[in-house]
Amino acid sequence: MSTTIKIRNLNQYYGKKQALADINLTIETGMFGLLGRNGAGKTTLMKVIATLLPRSEGEVSVCGRSTQHPQEVRKIVGYLPQDFSMYPNMTVYEVMDYLGVLSGLGKSKRRQRIPMLLERVNLQDDQKKKVKALSGGMKRRLGIAQAILHNPKVLIVDEPTAGLDPEERVRFRNLLCEIAEKRIVILSTHIVGDIEATCEDIAVLDEGHMIYQGTVTELLAMTEGKVYSAQISKRELELLKKDYIVTSMLTLGNNVMARFLAEEKPFALAKPCEAGVEDAYMYLMHTERGISGC
Amino acid sequence: MLAQLFLKECKQTARSLIYWLIVLVLIFDFTTQLGGMDIKKKPEAGEESYGTKQSRDPEMIMKSTLGQLVEEYWRESYTTYPIGFYKNVTLNEADDQKIGEILKETTGIADRDAAEQAVDAWYAAQEEEKGLNPSEAETVKPAEPFKAEPLEGLTYDRFEELMEEADRILGGGSNYSKEYREKNAVVPMTYEDALKEYEALIGEDGLTGGYARLFSDYMVIFLGILPVFLAVTRGLRDRRSMMQELIYTRRCPAFTIMAGRYLAMVAMLTIPVLLLSLVPFSKCMDYARTAGIAVDMLAFVKYVFGWLVPTIMAVTAVGMFFTELTDTAVAVLIQGAWWFTAVFGGIGSLHGGSYGWSLVPRHNTPMNWQGFHDGFAQLLTNRLLYAGAGLILMVLTALIYTQKRKGRLEIRGKISAYRKNKSEV
Repeated sequence: MSTTIKIRNLNQYYGKKQALADINLTIETGMFGLLGRNGAGKTTLMKVIATLLPRSEGEVSVCGRSTQHPQEVRKIVGYLPQDFSMYPNMTVYEVMDYLGVLSGLGKSKRRQRIPMLLERVNLQDDQKKKVKALSGGMKRRLGIAQAILHNPKVLIVDEPTAGLDPEERVRFRNLLCEIAEKRIVILSTHIVGDIEATCEDIAVLDEGHMIYQGTVTELLAMTEGKVYSAQISKRELELLKKDYIVTSMLTLGNNVMARFLAEEKPFALAKPCEAGVEDAYMYLMHTERGISGC
Repeated sequence: MLAQLFLKECKQTARSLIYWLIVLVLIFDFTTQLGGMDIKKKPEAGEESYGTKQSRDPEMIMKSTLGQLVEEYWRESYTTYPIGFYKNVTLNEADDQKIGEILKETTGIADRDAAEQAVDAWYAAQEEEKGLNPSEAETVKPAEPFKAEPLEGLTYDRFEELMEEADRILGGGSNYSKEYREKNAVVPMTYEDALKEYEALIGEDGLTGGYARLFSDYMVIFLGILPVFLAVTRGLRDRRSMMQELIYTRRCPAFTIMAGRYLAMVAMLTIPVLLLSLVPFSKCMDYARTAGIAVDMLAFVKYVFGWLVPTIMAVTAVGMFFTELTDTAVAVLIQGAWWFTAVFGGIGSLHGGSYGWSLVPRHNTPMNWQGFHDGFAQLLTNRLLYAGAGLILMVLTALIYTQKRKGRLEIRGKISAYRKNKSEV
């Protein structure tokens, strides 16, 4: 069986508004990052793949199964939405058990898999805790556990690290990487750091258009020699912002250490720097749409 | 998958606050209406009263119906139940005159003063009788309703014609409509009548049958509305708990999910009813033991499943259907309106025997086996219809759920978008 998600000429509309425009994408086993600002169309794309939205135009197949047959796709897809919760009065184990029944798992299979998965997401000691008593991070981890309960070939996670503290975020990213060893994991986020730490293959969406698809290395290569830093006064910073894309600033007394993007060295004090994914993303978002590393 | 889901849903229902509130209301209904229930003893000759019965004697029907017309005409206020709802009718001058003419033709009472005199004289005579027999005055004995003598020569056909006319003037559903006027003639039962009824209760109903009907009569009133609250809260729980998408993306078919929930709610609502039925059942058993009567041991179970479960099924399905369709609690309003109509529409058939198509068929007596027997075919059709309608609505709910899982039929989204647009304008 194919282990690829294929999206061909996908157009998606909400009434007259076009949410996705002519998307073509192939996703293979491993972590795949979907990056874009809020409202770029990431969640819409995720929902189409997860069969929660009917596609308006085009073809979407998940491991050889068309999303026009949702029942077939649902057997092999796990989904963790951006905003979710669970029945607050149920315990962690009960939620998993309930969703396990809905996933078609028999009693013995559930008894075997649920403790194993809870251990994997480090919730083994919280099995009897009620959902309403869980912290945001614990709830997210439970979300992942429920999404892989039926051992899906594809796992779709939408903005999973939003609202997590830095430690939880790192733990969560590592967990996703472990899970992605044998399956496709699509990680949708507007947080560049999440992509940088976990994905090699990525796509960038902006206002429903796919403005980049390729590897992180290729994206970084696009920005090579275009990232500079300079220590300037606060007054000079305002002038710099007018002409260049400033990606970060660090205040040092009366001065500011600014990191910015420029096609060529802008002034003598500017020092060339190694590009990061955030720099590359900012560069991409501010240059003409359609530049691609493909 | 369905059996496992059913058990999980039963567990969820058992944990829901609204479920326990419903159980409390059912217990309250039971204790207030049937808590002090006594089993009817065998009537003995020479008793003071044996209760009342409906008379089919045309003369008695005429007297009772005309008596009501005279009294209402005098009070200038008429009680009607058009489409089952209570309504107080006050007539304009022209219509009032028409009723006066009908009254004159049927009773010879020419005007309102004459009506007042006739009514006063009737009740004064009863008061006088009480004065002569102080022991009777002490017992709380309701006054016998006024009865008017029809004019000599008034045929029953003409009487019916004029009553139809009066009913039309009053807008329908009055005491003079065909349905009601035949129930107006209530006469005291004789010892023989009472004995016959008792023998039917023991012989045909096996004692428990009659009390199971009385139990069903009281319980069906609340079961005609309460299940909708459970269905609505269950339907809204997924959205409120933000769990919809986690469930939508599971492989379990929509039909299985909906059927699991539906069956669990119906079962969980039936359980307390069955348990409550044990109280009158045990009272029947006690009486039967001392009186040496053989009882129908399964009567309460048969009546709970045959009489009450179809109502539970229909009301639960209405709740599920409209909640899934709109993602709102609108089903409570819809069911509330239906329930109100059904309960008030059934006021005229409390004695049982005429069950019609009511969601809450009434039979407010352990007796009247004959009425039950005569109306059984209609009752059976009625109950099958509601059970079938419940199942059909459940299937339609599953179809709606299937569409929503695919991102279609988001009526709530459209309602909020419309509201937003309207507020922006």
